[in-house]
Amino acid sequence: MEAAGVRVQLRRGGTGAPLLILHGELGVPGWLRAYAQLAQHFTVYVPSLPGFGQSTRPDWIVSVRDLAAWVTWFVRDLKLSQPLPVIGYSLGGWIAAEIATINASLFTKIVLVGAAGLQPEEGHVWDYFVHSSREAFAQAFFDPAQAPEYVRYYGNTWTTEEETQAEQNREMAARLLWKPYMRSHTLPALLQGVATPTLVVWGREDAIIPLNVCQRYVRAIPGATAKVLDRCGHLPEMEQPEAFVQVVLDFLAPRA
Amino acid sequence: MVKEVYFFTEMGYTAYPQDEARRRGYNNLMFPNEHFSPERAQQLYGMYFEELLYATETGFDGVMINEHHNNPLSMMPSVNVIGAVLAQTTRKGRIVFLGNVLPIHDNPLRVAEEVAMIDILSGGRVICGFVRGLGQESIATNTNPIYNRERFDEAHNVIIKAWTTPGPFRWEGRHYDYRVVNPWIRPLQKPHPPIWIPGVVSPESVRWAAEHRYPYVALAPPLHVIDEIYDLYDEVAAKRGFAPTSEQRGYVIRVSVADTDEKAYEEGRHFFWQLGTSFGVAPRHWLQPPGYVSREATQSRREQARTGSVNVTPGGPSLSYEEAHATYQIVSGNPDTVIKKLQRIIDVVDPGYMVLWGREGLMSHEVAIRGIDLMTREVIPAIKAYQADRGQGRQRLAAGR
Repeated sequence: MEAAGVRVQLRRGGTGAPLLILHGELGVPGWLRAYAQLAQHFTVYVPSLPGFGQSTRPDWIVSVRDLAAWVTWFVRDLKLSQPLPVIGYSLGGWIAAEIATINASLFTKIVLVGAAGLQPEEGHVWDYFVHSSREAFAQAFFDPAQAPEYVRYYGNTWTTEEETQAEQNREMAARLLWKPYMRSHTLPALLQGVATPTLVVWGREDAIIPLNVCQRYVRAIPGATAKVLDRCGHLPEMEQPEAFVQVVLDFLAPRA
Repeated sequence: MVKEVYFFTEMGYTAYPQDEARRRGYNNLMFPNEHFSPERAQQLYGMYFEELLYATETGFDGVMINEHHNNPLSMMPSVNVIGAVLAQTTRKGRIVFLGNVLPIHDNPLRVAEEVAMIDILSGGRVICGFVRGLGQESIATNTNPIYNRERFDEAHNVIIKAWTTPGPFRWEGRHYDYRVVNPWIRPLQKPHPPIWIPGVVSPESVRWAAEHRYPYVALAPPLHVIDEIYDLYDEVAAKRGFAPTSEQRGYVIRVSVADTDEKAYEEGRHFFWQLGTSFGVAPRHWLQPPGYVSREATQSRREQARTGSVNVTPGGPSLSYEEAHATYQIVSGNPDTVIKKLQRIIDVVDPGYMVLWGREGLMSHEVAIRGIDLMTREVIPAIKAYQADRGQGRQRLAAGR
């Protein structure tokens, strides 16, 4: 479909009020179990962001802020009822936070999951760009072997198409995130102005973005709360889908 | 006709522990620099500079130098520093920079200034090459590889304009911005030193060189892809309305020459001194960081021919010493043998310029000097006198003979 000047690969399912999902820098591999569970309560929209998946990449999108602007246009062009709740994973969390700093009327509630954008107080964000894509997916899980969706999407031999897709996602990530790496120097200050209720969800064993960034987000956004999931890495929706969906539903409290 | 012949060495830092590299599985970018000894480097620099000076004094038309980062392959992390030293230590011969790594610079005017200084200091002996750098150099210098080509192109434009347009003027580009472009030091050669573009057969670089009418210097590729490189060059040139001559073609070739074929063959193994490879070992995601190789390039026939064939270019599969002989990525032998093999290359390429990559690895100083003597006394006069038969050379190549 076309939206906001981009041919968008959109995964959509469920009924009810809209729920927007913004994927992370690794892209989104399919209709995940967590999405299917959320789709029992919402109409879930999972666009591949410009440059990721099968979505085209306009040349002008070179920063997270550009992408944030695009997301607001996407919501407008899809005529989704506003305001609406959003879940943003990693890069997607940064995008949601960036939007919330300048627009308090787009989102009802924000769920930030292992969100990028802030520098850790201790340690570093794991560097995708000195590692391979395969290493990245393994690093993103606490226990890849126990995660069915790791096994399903990343654990087997990749086809040429999957290799190419991973490389293309990686290129878009590099375009957006190379330097300063996975962070904004102004976001910490800007987050003070967020007026949207925010839940920050983190995997306790996140080996991509350290858990202390969760606390930074909670301190920076007025009124934000945190939920930390055990035995869980950077991708809670894939590694602990049931627990993840539960904390999200508790927060979003969809009407029956 | 081969008009000029230059000498080259990577100036390898040969004193690092290969066992440690073997254990780690890589020998650059993140190979710990605790294994670097400045004292050993001082000795090696002394030896290499002596050999370069000797080459210029005894019959080479100059020397080629280059630049690599975080890499024991090369002790030249600044091509301009090496060039400045040579400008003062050599008395004659071209200094061929292949080249300055443009995309890694945030201030390309510094490159314009330094090259201009060296051109003056050397009495106008600079040939100025520009390169994109190896993939891992985007990481080593933290320059976004996505923009490698854009920055290369724009930095080049800034430098050429700074050399050819009287300042001051403003520059407002996509990657570079200057309130004032007005470098005081400008090159001695007018309008500027000759620009050459070396490459390892990426089609965009060949095309870019042809669009700018710059000579394209093939860096020791397999002989069987070379006609495609220069066919592409010729195609683009035709569209631009010029007919390339040998002046637009350069060729770098590893050469091990000694008094006997057997000795030369054994000494040639030193070109494969880095864990048995020529360029060293690194994982693919260092050699090809995101966006460094375009999808067009990855999918091109030429690129597939390159990566599908054994070769020793960065990013390609490793190549055995024996296979490198078969693909003419190294030639070895006594002077007569080497002359015959180089003539075979000349028949295919008809280059105006050849760079004999004439020493590498743990080859002793004495062997290197003997090689230089044999090259200057026998090989260079013979290949300069040789009249290429490009038609026949290419027919033979196509027929696999």
